[in-house]
Amino acid sequence: MSQVTEDDQLTRLQEALDGAATGGIAVSVVAGVCLVGAFASFLLSMPFTVPFLLGFVGVTAYGWFAHQAETARTLMFVATVSTVTVLGLITFYVFLEAAPAFANMGVVELLTRLEQPLWNTETHVYSLVPLMWGTFVTTVLATLVAAPFGVAGALFISEIAPRTVREIIKPAVEVLAGIPSIVYGFIGFTVLNPYMTEKFLLAGQGSLFLAGIVIGFMALPTTVSVAEDAIASVPESMKSGSLALGSTDWQTMKSVTLPTALSGVSAGILLGVGRAIGETMAATVILGTVVELPDPLYDVFGNTITLTSAIAAQYGSAFGLHMNTLFAAGVVLFVTVMGLSIAAQYVEARMQRKLGGDV
Amino acid sequence: MSEHQTETETEPDRERAAEATEPDAAPSTATATTESASRPEPSTERTTVAGETDETTRPEWVQYDFDGESKLSVHDLDVYYGDEHALKGVSMEIPEESVTALIGPSGCGKSTYLRCLNRMNDRIKAARIDGSVELDGQNVYDDNANLVELRKRVGMVFQSPNPFPKSIRDNISYGPRKHGDINTGLLSRLVGRSDKEAEEKLVERSLRDAALWDEVSGRLDDNALGLSGGQQQRLCIARCLATDPEVILMDEPASALDPIATSKIEDLITDLAEEYTVVVVTHNMQQAARISDQTAVFLTGGELVEYDDTEKIFENPESQRVEDYISGKFG
Amino acid sequence: MSNRNATRSELVESDTSTYEVIAAATAAVGVLTSTLSFLTLAEIVPFEGGLGGIAMPTVFGAILSLLGVVTIGIGVVSAVGVVETTPDRDAGLVTAGAFGLLWAVVAGLVVSQSLGFGVVVWLPATLAVGVAVLFGAVFPKEDLGSTLPGGALALFAGAVFLTGTVGTGWSWSPPDLQASFTAPVVVPVVGIVGSLVTAWGAAKAHGAFGRRGRQRAAYMAIWLLAALVLTVLLYLLAFVTMKGAGRAFAGIGFGPGLSFNWPFLTNGVSLMEQSPGIWPAVVGTVWLVVGAVMMAVPLGIGAAVFLTEYAEQGRFTQVVEVATNGLWSTPSIVFGLFGYAFLVPRFGNTKSLFAGMLVLSFMLLPLVLITSRESLKSVPDEYRDASAALGVSRWETVRSVVLPAAMPGVVTGVILGVGRIAGETAPLLLVTAGEIFPAKQNAPAVLRSFQVDVVMGPPFLDVSNPALFEASSALPYQLYAIITAGLSSSNIENSLEFAWATAFVLLLVVLSFYAIGIATRTYFRRKISHE
Ligand SMILES: Nc1ncnc2c1ncn2[C@@H]1O[C@H](COP(=O)(O)OP(=O)(O)OP(=O)(O)O)[C@@H](O)[C@H]1O
Ligand SMILES: [Mg+2]
Repeated sequence: MSQVTEDDQLTRLQEALDGAATGGIAVSVVAGVCLVGAFASFLLSMPFTVPFLLGFVGVTAYGWFAHQAETARTLMFVATVSTVTVLGLITFYVFLEAAPAFANMGVVELLTRLEQPLWNTETHVYSLVPLMWGTFVTTVLATLVAAPFGVAGALFISEIAPRTVREIIKPAVEVLAGIPSIVYGFIGFTVLNPYMTEKFLLAGQGSLFLAGIVIGFMALPTTVSVAEDAIASVPESMKSGSLALGSTDWQTMKSVTLPTALSGVSAGILLGVGRAIGETMAATVILGTVVELPDPLYDVFGNTITLTSAIAAQYGSAFGLHMNTLFAAGVVLFVTVMGLSIAAQYVEARMQRKLGGDV
Repeated sequence: MSEHQTETETEPDRERAAEATEPDAAPSTATATTESASRPEPSTERTTVAGETDETTRPEWVQYDFDGESKLSVHDLDVYYGDEHALKGVSMEIPEESVTALIGPSGCGKSTYLRCLNRMNDRIKAARIDGSVELDGQNVYDDNANLVELRKRVGMVFQSPNPFPKSIRDNISYGPRKHGDINTGLLSRLVGRSDKEAEEKLVERSLRDAALWDEVSGRLDDNALGLSGGQQQRLCIARCLATDPEVILMDEPASALDPIATSKIEDLITDLAEEYTVVVVTHNMQQAARISDQTAVFLTGGELVEYDDTEKIFENPESQRVEDYISGKFG
Repeated sequence: MSNRNATRSELVESDTSTYEVIAAATAAVGVLTSTLSFLTLAEIVPFEGGLGGIAMPTVFGAILSLLGVVTIGIGVVSAVGVVETTPDRDAGLVTAGAFGLLWAVVAGLVVSQSLGFGVVVWLPATLAVGVAVLFGAVFPKEDLGSTLPGGALALFAGAVFLTGTVGTGWSWSPPDLQASFTAPVVVPVVGIVGSLVTAWGAAKAHGAFGRRGRQRAAYMAIWLLAALVLTVLLYLLAFVTMKGAGRAFAGIGFGPGLSFNWPFLTNGVSLMEQSPGIWPAVVGTVWLVVGAVMMAVPLGIGAAVFLTEYAEQGRFTQVVEVATNGLWSTPSIVFGLFGYAFLVPRFGNTKSLFAGMLVLSFMLLPLVLITSRESLKSVPDEYRDASAALGVSRWETVRSVVLPAAMPGVVTGVILGVGRIAGETAPLLLVTAGEIFPAKQNAPAVLRSFQVDVVMGPPFLDVSNPALFEASSALPYQLYAIITAGLSSSNIENSLEFAWATAFVLLLVVLSFYAIGIATRTYFRRKISHE
């Protein structure tokens, strides 16, 4: 009796091993092992990364011809996992490098210290307050430019402009979204900074005011096109409904179109704000990048530094705790932008639910 | 209801329809006999894909004489969507304070016609409109026409419900607010001239008229998109009534309603006709017969074939095609 | 049930009246004045010289006074009932608030700065004026409420300029700001504000006030804002082209024989170089983009296919979604920090081209994933069902039906993403960037430096490419490098010109990618909507 079952099992196993599915699984397992090996070797700075990778390539190449469906599936799964891994690695390493800085000053002290010295690389006393203030002020200024102009631009393109005008402007704005930030920075540095110095009789080069305005204009095309997509997706039947009740086009825009598209429009603005916070090059090049608070705090014509430009301007000469502190600036940046991104997704999901009634 | 089951017909047979309206297909042909008893010979009668017979329309079929003023008069209205000729030379006088029913098979241009009356077709980029529509003797297609004023006077209930993503209350008071008749903004509340009470009254009256009050009176602040399809349709009717137009255009207002709500809406339409001019599109023959004073029949190809007293249309139509359509032979 | 007390206006309006013409003209003059102000601010119209021999403050003073008087007149004529208009009961809280704020600022500045009173006086004065204007704008009908405060403001500004209180040489240094406000800035800015508030009131009057008037005014404002945005952005492009194209294209042509010469692109910088160029940066950018695309595109598309076609909607897909959005919004400099902490130490502690490729591919990954997912989702389910109904396996369906249908969207996403990473500077600073002005022979020679060695101990096989593991330049970095070098180099004659030319080439490269990407997308969208 037991003999029979054993035989049975054996034959079944034999069959299964011959079967394509199991072959595919075997390939997947071997490929997976190779990849994990390569990854581990790379993490630990060992010399086996390349051979493991070659092994992976070899196995998958075999798998592609022998068991394409399974291999493809595995590869795609690997791709998916790698996305999460990358974010995990970024989070881990940036926090890891920032840890000594937080340990050095204490988290609260590093984030709130106001008394001098604010930034001393000899005695390693640091405060991120000027950096955060700089980022905050430039972001507020940039939002003041990007939000109203962005919404106006989006309304213009999707509702007000004649058809022919729209068909030229819409792609043009999307192309303009691509202007690299260093170009804005360069123009700010060579043209606008001297202009500001001359017109406002500024003592030195650069001001938060200019950086904020430039970043605002930089974020504008993105804001416009995201908001425009949202406005254009408001169903025509809803607008017709409003017009048929005898309201004007402007009333329809204000009371039906914009509120309905609110989630998308605010997503556009948040995207713009996110870009402003994370913007490095324009701020680095335009600002004087001195680690001081402007005096008085609201002096937008003063000079300071932002989280991003501190990293870009000082990484070259930094080592040890100084470098760790720059990583801490990176952490603050990362956490803020992440929070904003999650908030934006949450807002959008909520609006979507609201729009869909109780669905 | 046979006409609902037979609604499977597809493309309007444009070629034939166009042929049928050709002027030199002369009224002298035998098919133009008016009496339904003297049917034309089957040999001269062709049948379209939709099951329609082929005949030539006569101008006198759409001549409708009535007492009293005409509210809307339409002359030689042609509508094109791109190359498609969706409405062909429609002329029609719509009497004041009455119910006019528009019937006809799907795709024959009833909605298109209705949208011409308050110029909602202007919203469709591909649409081109020739001809004139006069409201109280003033051409609404005049270059200086005030579209906002026109739509205020000529209200519309759309074929598919389109409530705003706002509360039920705000949906109803939307029109009057935009016209400046109701003001409940922060400023008017501050200076004590808020029309809150007037608003409440208006909301209740409109919802009662539309037979929706009992169902929603407890949740006026809920989002209107959370209502069922039929409730949304009644909400849209209520929303239109609240703006107090002179003419009300209704595109199948009862298509998503149960028999009870339908009969309430029918009663409402009958009541409305005391003060308003109502034009209503319907696929339901009995409904048209019950509620309307006069009926216009559009047939495939976008032509108005016959327009007369509802009784005359349903009991003794001039056109063979109309008779076929009404008796459920096609459409 | 009827409430026929509703406001009624004419169905068919009469032709344009004189009142409308005057209102339209006022609005037009307002718009033109604000344009003139912008041109003055941008120094396209010189401030110092004045206009036709008349000093700029006088010019603006005259125009603003005129605008102010006419606007007030327009409002009064309507309020008195000389012309028939349809004003609302009030101008609205927002309008009143804005006017109140404007006037409060004016009052505060005048009382504190011109009259020199302390805070005890100027604060109450400011508040009083603000509140007074607010009430003044709220209580009368809309026609007065929306023209009077604006007209008076323009009139006041005009008087200040005409009387010479603010003249050409005027300047004001607020004690607590570093900046001083000089006449060349203040006069045009006041000009913009004054002309726009009057133009706005006049536009309302043109629509006979009421909701039609509001629409006219709002449309005017939106047209102006849109025009301003577009002008600024296009001017920026034109400016870079003007400054940089000459140098960038200098010496271009067919050289000896059939060879093609483009010195600025094909030369490096060195002592011997006659016409220095940016060859190493161009090569660096090309390799960075190629490397990033080779890594990110398969990963992104693979993950997108897995998520849409295989994975069950659940915890796992949610995590991936959050991670993707997180990666997408992570600031580029943080990617740089990551590369600095993670990649650089593992590549022999030097910045390298390969680290740059990896970091840029991480930045590209979420974009490719998101756009691919979107276009995969938009492939109708009928395709999949039809294919499945024919007994085709899931993978076959994906490969032969779903992917081809989604390809246009994916390609567009990739092209736009490439545009984005090609212009990215910040992460390169930390992981790739090398010399400031590299010579031609220092351009990365990736193709030529592949080496495969068999070694005795583990790992037995050694594939290496030294060029990949050396620092490199890149177009955006080159531009930054010139700026940090103080716009000067001993090997380049006119560094500023060199910098503009670099900026021009960078713009050309990046915007070409964007233009191609958007054109492709438009093309495919049209095709789909026509089918
Ligand atoms: N927006 C549009 N663009 C192009 N063609 C249109 C448009 N709207 C309607 N049509 C065409 O015009 C013709 C008439 O359409 P209409 O909607 O008026 O029909 P209908 O009589 O209301 O039909 P139903 O009873 O199904 O509502 C149809 O052939 C339709 O294809
Ligand atoms: Mg219809």
